[in-house]
Amino acid sequence: MDNNKHIPLRTLESTPALGNLDRLCDMQEGRLSGKVFWDEAIYEQELEKIFARCWLFVAHESQLPRSGDYLTTSMGEDEVLVVRQKDASIKVFLNACPHRGNKVCFAEAGNARGFICNYHGWSFGADGGRLMGMHESKCYEESQFDKSRHGLREARVASYKGLVFATFASDAPTLEEYLGPMTWYMDVMLDMDEGGSEFLGGCIRSTIECNWKIAAENFVGDILHGGWTHDSAAKAMLGGPVANVGELPESYSVNWNGHGYEFATDVVGNAATLGEKDINKYLHVLRPKVAERLGEFRSKLIGAISSFTVFPNFSFLPGQNTVRIWQPRGPHKIELFTWVIVNKNAPQDIKDKWRRGAMMTFSPTGVFEMDDGENWEYCTKTSRGVVTRYQDLYVGLGMHTRLDDSELPGNVFKGQLNECNARAFYQRWKDLLQAPTWADVPDRNGTLR
Amino acid sequence: MTHQLQDTPVSIDEARRVEQFLLREARLLDNECWDQWLLSLSEAIHYWMPGIENRRREDKSGPYRLEHMAFFDDGMRELKRRVARFKQPSAWAENPPTRNVHLVSNIEVYAGAEPGEYLAYSCFVNVRSRGLDEHAQLAGRREDVLRLEAEGLKLLKRKILIPNAMLLCKNINTFL
Repeated sequence: MDNNKHIPLRTLESTPALGNLDRLCDMQEGRLSGKVFWDEAIYEQELEKIFARCWLFVAHESQLPRSGDYLTTSMGEDEVLVVRQKDASIKVFLNACPHRGNKVCFAEAGNARGFICNYHGWSFGADGGRLMGMHESKCYEESQFDKSRHGLREARVASYKGLVFATFASDAPTLEEYLGPMTWYMDVMLDMDEGGSEFLGGCIRSTIECNWKIAAENFVGDILHGGWTHDSAAKAMLGGPVANVGELPESYSVNWNGHGYEFATDVVGNAATLGEKDINKYLHVLRPKVAERLGEFRSKLIGAISSFTVFPNFSFLPGQNTVRIWQPRGPHKIELFTWVIVNKNAPQDIKDKWRRGAMMTFSPTGVFEMDDGENWEYCTKTSRGVVTRYQDLYVGLGMHTRLDDSELPGNVFKGQLNECNARAFYQRWKDLLQAPTWADVPDRNGTLR
Repeated sequence: MTHQLQDTPVSIDEARRVEQFLLREARLLDNECWDQWLLSLSEAIHYWMPGIENRRREDKSGPYRLEHMAFFDDGMRELKRRVARFKQPSAWAENPPTRNVHLVSNIEVYAGAEPGEYLAYSCFVNVRSRGLDEHAQLAGRREDVLRLEAEGLKLLKRKILIPNAMLLCKNINTFL
């Protein structure tokens, strides 16, 4: 962060952890209260202790090819601007004027030399976010106002193979430490091909009236729902039901620091749901090259039945190539930002087929996703009932299936029909809510069941 | 929506026929007559509803692009797959059914680019309700090309534009 001359952020004192979290979330026993999906006080703590602390996905580098290219997104409920700089680096600023807090950029994307607040004309350079001037600047000069201390507030930024993450927490670990060994698995999506990956143009935004954790948890490790929830979509797209995941010969769930990936080794199980033979063919032809690049094992994952969440709210489906943020908007609502990721060197017609295939399957008009939204909304809404919240939900599937002798990175569990990743996700969630600072967050790796 | 300075008028009878087509289509959708609806489409249909991008006026990229992400970018194969899902007994989120009203108005009919084709502009309001209290409302503009084929008038192209850069509901489980 260059602009450390700025008036420092005066964070409010950390609120004490809620007293009943161990009762609401007991991952040793695999038990969870629906109160965590409904409660306003818990949500306020999540904004403070999870979204203002963790590394959050903000953009793919391919969305900002030229200097001055920008996009707007949010980190939790904090609105931010992501801007490509003259030196090719990417900076992330609060999209809020340091004068009265008004939003300084209202477009979702574009190219600009600067951003001017509509209220009192404070103007900021796109390069560096410095305060350049304002309406009636002379009166500021007369009051000895120091412009250099009032630029756009800048976040810490770090990238992993095209994915740009940011955090406003100065005590957060590095992105590398934050992601840990999960990057080995992320490479399956991001680095299967020479040239890496890119986002296709456009972003589909929609809302679901559900708690953000339900969506994140669904992608962190719930393929169990696939064969049941998505039966109708599978029949529509493939002419038959979803593959019987329980009978696949080799599959795993892996997690680390609350991130999770569940996967089969069936190469094209997810990709096949797009109903585009050319995509399956593309992956099969590419696979030997992936094996040279990433090894035989990971080459079997490039379009396999699988899903991934980077804690807390960034998810993707290899094969369908849909990428998400689940933006929290109160305890009972999310905004979904949906993109499509492809190999940069893939032929244009293959990219187009993925764009349309992701739309057909996992998007607000996708035949698979329609049944998800309904489930997620009612998992949230039933929790408004007090007695319903007393009911301990079962998150215990796959207890005692840890593979301690596995050579795979991370916490490795047998089989993808397993709630170990959900348990790791909620454990991390609780640990962050209970920890006064990053230094207090316990390391659970190696001990989770 | 494109503003055509040289919109060529058609006869009142022809205009009336296109209007009837659009109104009947709305009734078919409200009544879940999916197969009849599919029959009203040309085999060569392009059914397109681009995602709307909230960009500045001076941004040459514009509010939508053919090669960007869309809600629908379908041919007949895709539309049939969507209908196939609606008809599955295991389409859990469609039982009890979603109740639909499609209102169609602001219809203007002109001659199309080719003989036997019509260009029709219209507006729609779609109201969906599920369960007891779910209510989702979408309004938008459409630009259609209809074509006289052997079996009668068919929808050849549809472009649907909603004003929303973010869909304020969980899905679009209907056609617009």
